[in-house]
Amino acid sequence: MSGRLCALLTLLLVLSSLSMVKAQYQARHLFMQLETAQTMARRLDTEWSQLQLDQSNLGMHSRIEARARKDLGMVALSSERTQYVKVEGK
Amino acid sequence: MKRAAQAMARVAAGKGVPFVKNPMLAAQLPLWRSRMVMFVLFAAFLGLIGRALWLQAISNQFLKKKGESRYARTIELPANRGKIFDRNGQVLATSVPVKAIWANPEETLQASTEQLAALAKLLDMGVTELVKKLDSDRNFVYLKRQVEPEVAEAIMKLKIEGVQTRKESKRHYPEADVMAHVVGFTNIEDVGQESMELSQQKNLVGVAGSRYVIKDRLGHIVEDIGDVREPRDGKDLNLSVDSKLQYIAYTQLKEAVTKFHAKAGAVVVLDVKNGEVLALANYPSYNPNDRRAVTGQQLRNRVMTDTFEPGSTMKPFTIALALETKRVTPNTVFQTAPGKMTIGTATIGDSHAHGALTVSQIIQKSSNVGTAKIALSMPPQETWEMYTKVGLGQAPKFGFPGAVAGRVRPYKSWRPIEQATMSYGHGISVSLMQLARSYMIFARDGDMIPLSFQKLGPNEVPNGQQVISPQTAKSVRAMLESVVTPEGTAPKAQVASYRVGGKTGTAYKVVGRQYDKGRYVGSFVGMAPMSNPRIIIAVMIDEPTGAFHYGGDVAAPTFSAVAANALRALNVTPDSSVTNIIIPTDGVQESL
Repeated sequence: MSGRLCALLTLLLVLSSLSMVKAQYQARHLFMQLETAQTMARRLDTEWSQLQLDQSNLGMHSRIEARARKDLGMVALSSERTQYVKVEGK
Repeated sequence: MKRAAQAMARVAAGKGVPFVKNPMLAAQLPLWRSRMVMFVLFAAFLGLIGRALWLQAISNQFLKKKGESRYARTIELPANRGKIFDRNGQVLATSVPVKAIWANPEETLQASTEQLAALAKLLDMGVTELVKKLDSDRNFVYLKRQVEPEVAEAIMKLKIEGVQTRKESKRHYPEADVMAHVVGFTNIEDVGQESMELSQQKNLVGVAGSRYVIKDRLGHIVEDIGDVREPRDGKDLNLSVDSKLQYIAYTQLKEAVTKFHAKAGAVVVLDVKNGEVLALANYPSYNPNDRRAVTGQQLRNRVMTDTFEPGSTMKPFTIALALETKRVTPNTVFQTAPGKMTIGTATIGDSHAHGALTVSQIIQKSSNVGTAKIALSMPPQETWEMYTKVGLGQAPKFGFPGAVAGRVRPYKSWRPIEQATMSYGHGISVSLMQLARSYMIFARDGDMIPLSFQKLGPNEVPNGQQVISPQTAKSVRAMLESVVTPEGTAPKAQVASYRVGGKTGTAYKVVGRQYDKGRYVGSFVGMAPMSNPRIIIAVMIDEPTGAFHYGGDVAAPTFSAVAANALRALNVTPDSSVTNIIIPTDGVQESL
């Protein structure tokens, strides 16, 4: 009787140990994935601020004005040449 | 006897006598010897057990530490400094990653001459300069900080012994000189030094975090041990400034300062509805991205930190007080002839004798004599209270570093002549920001609101404090509008399609203890559109040295240009059908 119980318990112990090894392996694996994702997030964050900066740089009013005047030959709006339109109900 | 027994034993063994019969065994040894051996062995074991116990249970810190240092690492998690945006979400300041290049001089100096030359070239310095930097006893020397990542990569490719990089961040200011005085800048350690970068340092700065991890042989992070302290990035800052209006204000100001050969100038634009600062421009300015040649003159924020005697721009307050206390009506007539007035021993005067003027015309023509006559009919205390209520003599409270209070002397020490000169803005000093804000009582219906440098929510309207009645504000507005007509002192402030109004000011500069009659400050404070004021614009031109120096000539055109562009940019509906502006050739000259 006690011999059988012993064998059963041993089996259970082995199974539990194996599952723990597997769990640990999975944990490490997932952790690596998390790590990669976080690195990616940081990189994208840096890229995002770089793009914001680029947008600001390219959208500088002085640059737009220079391009509009020189390259496109535009002139500043004057009020004599402005037609104001009223939106219904406003 | 012993020796004989040993010899016997050897002989016995040699003869094949079994061990048990070995005569050596028969020898009698004293008992204490075996006990002694027993005791020594026991003591040695006890010693080992004690040591094991000591290492395992009691003093285990040291070994634990040694063990962990083989696989555990603390990683710094740097936090980013908050970005600064304008009201429309355009980036005004942001941190970008860069590298610091450092070296261990002893190792680096062993590099070949060609390598050092290549390094010096990439670092943008001479070889001698580089060698001089490396001439040090320490084993850590910064060669150059805030290097662009591409350059740092090229340097690392040289593979010079002892040259290393370190992560850093650098602040970028895309709007450069246009926004310099609003945003300010940080130093190399990322600490705010000027303007908003300085005053909002506490919010902008992040808190670096750290994590304690296990690394494997290849340097991959395998597991976190202990808690991760997440880095906390600095908070982003949304300013109330509109970069479009700021650009308009800055370019117009620059043009005016150049055109009138002035020493400097400043413009501020305020939102009348909620007290937001929409633009704050100074000229001369500087590029915050490259501050190698910045002078104090360029750094100076004339809107906030410089005070000047405002001159005639103060007149409306005297008139408003007189109207409010029902001492005069807009049509009360005062005799200003002969254009001179003696108070005590001093004489004040107008530039031209105007004769009899109504209160409205006193503002329109900017008559000192008329204003002084009205001012002298009022007790000093009331005037002082008026000045204090509109914020003069007190530093504005919106967290701008170096904001000054200006000077309004206590009313108890006012002599009549001082009361008279103060009514037209002499003997009192203000900053341009204070001056612009004080006009809130006219632009709004008589109440004062606090200003804000940070963007307010759509329903966030600050509580106002009523200073004058809406009726008085309306009357003064009508007078301010008459100033920009061909009969007033500032026809050049007119704007096509919009009704505008304002007041000119011209004052001598105070040098030492007296006025320098060769140096002027021309100013104009106005609002638009008059049917429902939306913005207040204050312009100050410091020491114009050309043919013109009156506020109506040097500051009013800038007001007009800024107002025209700003109103259009803000989509304000035009309230006038006049599109052609008439500027008389012989305008009304302002009194100094």
